[in-house]
Amino acid sequence: MRLLLVEDEPEIQSFVKQSLVEAGYEVHTAEDGTTAIQLASKHVYHGLIVDLGLPDQDGIELILQLRRSGVTSPVLILSARRSVDDRVKGLELGGDDYLTKPFALAELLARMRNLLRRNSSPPEDPTRLRICDLELDMLKRRATRGDEVLNLSPQEFVLLEYLCRHAGRVVTRSMLLKEVWGMRIQPDTNVVDVHIYRLRGKIDTVGREPLIKTLRGIGYVLKGT
Amino acid sequence: MSSKVPDPILHSAAWRISLWATLAFAIGTMLVFAMLHRFVANDIQQRSDAWLSGEVAVLGDVAARTPKDRLYGRVVREVAELASREVPDKTRSSSNENDSVFFLQAGDDGPLKLWVGTGDGMPNLAAIRARKFASDVPYDLNVKGFNYPFRVASVRLDDGSHIYLGLSERDELRVLRNLRIRFVCLWLLIVSFGAAIVFFVTRRMLGHVRDMTEAASRIGQSDLSSRVPTSKRNDEVGHLARTLNHMLDRIENTVHQLHTITDALAHDLRSPLTAIRGKLETTLSNDVRADQAEPIVSAIDELDRLTDFLNTSLDVAEAKADALRLSRTEIDLDELVRGMVGLYEPSMSDKGLGVQVRSAGSVKVLADAALLHRVISNLLDNELKHLPAACTVSLLLHANEDMAILIVEDDGPGFDIDVRRHLFERRVRGRESRGHGLGLAFVEAVVRVHGGSVTADNCDEGGARLSITLPLWKAAPDAESHPLVLAKG
Repeated sequence: MRLLLVEDEPEIQSFVKQSLVEAGYEVHTAEDGTTAIQLASKHVYHGLIVDLGLPDQDGIELILQLRRSGVTSPVLILSARRSVDDRVKGLELGGDDYLTKPFALAELLARMRNLLRRNSSPPEDPTRLRICDLELDMLKRRATRGDEVLNLSPQEFVLLEYLCRHAGRVVTRSMLLKEVWGMRIQPDTNVVDVHIYRLRGKIDTVGREPLIKTLRGIGYVLKGT
Repeated sequence: MSSKVPDPILHSAAWRISLWATLAFAIGTMLVFAMLHRFVANDIQQRSDAWLSGEVAVLGDVAARTPKDRLYGRVVREVAELASREVPDKTRSSSNENDSVFFLQAGDDGPLKLWVGTGDGMPNLAAIRARKFASDVPYDLNVKGFNYPFRVASVRLDDGSHIYLGLSERDELRVLRNLRIRFVCLWLLIVSFGAAIVFFVTRRMLGHVRDMTEAASRIGQSDLSSRVPTSKRNDEVGHLARTLNHMLDRIENTVHQLHTITDALAHDLRSPLTAIRGKLETTLSNDVRADQAEPIVSAIDELDRLTDFLNTSLDVAEAKADALRLSRTEIDLDELVRGMVGLYEPSMSDKGLGVQVRSAGSVKVLADAALLHRVISNLLDNELKHLPAACTVSLLLHANEDMAILIVEDDGPGFDIDVRRHLFERRVRGRESRGHGLGLAFVEAVVRVHGGSVTADNCDEGGARLSITLPLWKAAPDAESHPLVLAKG
């Protein structure tokens, strides 16, 4: 899949591009709005990442211009502004997403993946999720590991479900807070970690293969070997 | 808000102003009339006194020169009859019987010598004799059987008897009464007319002021680009509107500058922070050894704390300047508090803290969700960090008539006395705090920007207590249909 990254800071551009390439995307870059428009008229992009503070024009204007010229691919907005502009929120409602700087790369990748998936394939069968011997029955709201039924609280089930839906990919604390608890907060205590530890205590019991792994400084990943 | 005022007219300044103006006007005109009335009454009195004195002198003269026989009686009667016809402003409708004048001649005691008038004259004589002193100037006399007093003048004859001539004050009093009635009618008319004029003029004038006030208060709550309505007139009100709009121009400029500065500051700091964080993260994911990973992880943590500090301090700065950009939505505090407690409960119980929620059910406010989430999480972070084990945090949520009240209290050691006084200032924190000292300043700033208040004190039992009030969101049917319709410029 081909992505267009519009970002004028060379440093940020370089590491974002690097991690996107590592994640398997083909990435084109532009430093300003004019270049972005030119590129978008020559190539088809599956997704765009646009910084709002561009040297020649406002990122929002660029996105509107792209939309007018027929680009319908999802846009992930990067914003260094503190409070997010209402117009950005408007765009977000239209199916796109935004991240405020500084952001975790893992989160950027996860958001991008979400946007691309939302755009392309229909959602997978939601009634049953399976990772190794962990199985989630979405209808009965029941989780089993092997043949053992796990005794999870409703909250823990939602958390596990989110991890399973993103199995094999990194999820950050702020992603969990936003998606599982519906809050855009940055607590300076380890509230999310404690939830994960508890969940891990119920799933990765002694003798079983640990599924939830901690990536220190980044977040968590649920995957089997 | 305005729906709470019981009667807007009775509480308006226009009403009060017109009330006082009318009162002053009414009293003033009343005083002028009283003086006029007094002047007219005196004048009438003087005229009738002069007439009476003249007549009684003539009668005395006649009596002195006419022999004391039947002829004398006739002459006096004729003169008295004549006098009675000269009474000013006599009622035409009254009967032929002449009760407005009497003539009486009598000695100091003994019977009547001569009587002309209504009745037998005995009550008149009795009334005159009841007066202890005689006087040469006319005086008022109340006679039994007559509704109105008589004005009586007397003259002493050579034979020691007196001639009394009495003139009823009925007509005089009627003139004055008519004057009073007419005046009162006219007075009521003028006063009510004046009151109406004053009321409508001031109401119109103050209506402009009210429009401005409403517009100004809406501007404070929503956007700064609106302006109060201005009129073309060059009076004080028009001047006030223009001055307000100039002031709003300046405020908008200042706020705009503040936003520009904070945005620029945030932008200039965030770009390098993003770059640093990105590089660290890339390094971390490249399979570094565990002992190498440790400093990178802590660097990322520190960076995140720095970012949080940057965000919060800029938010506090903007909130203190009333320039925080809010995107308000309807929020159920009950739901929010329970969600937050759900998030924090495991960490709390790990630390040996209890947490309980007591709520009377759904309490809705109109607020910026992201900011309010951070407020509650700040408070719970505080408890989590500072409260010693085995304590309990209680969140009490209820609402009174127009405020939602959230109390967060604990049974811990409470606030330090010296810290408590400056609790909501920036950079104030307890000795053991690891935070950046912005937590409660942020809470206070956000709550204030939403039109609420925060108070902090210690419970009687010793724990810390923080009370937050926020204006209730009432789903009034007309709330939605009140978009800002303001004149620009």
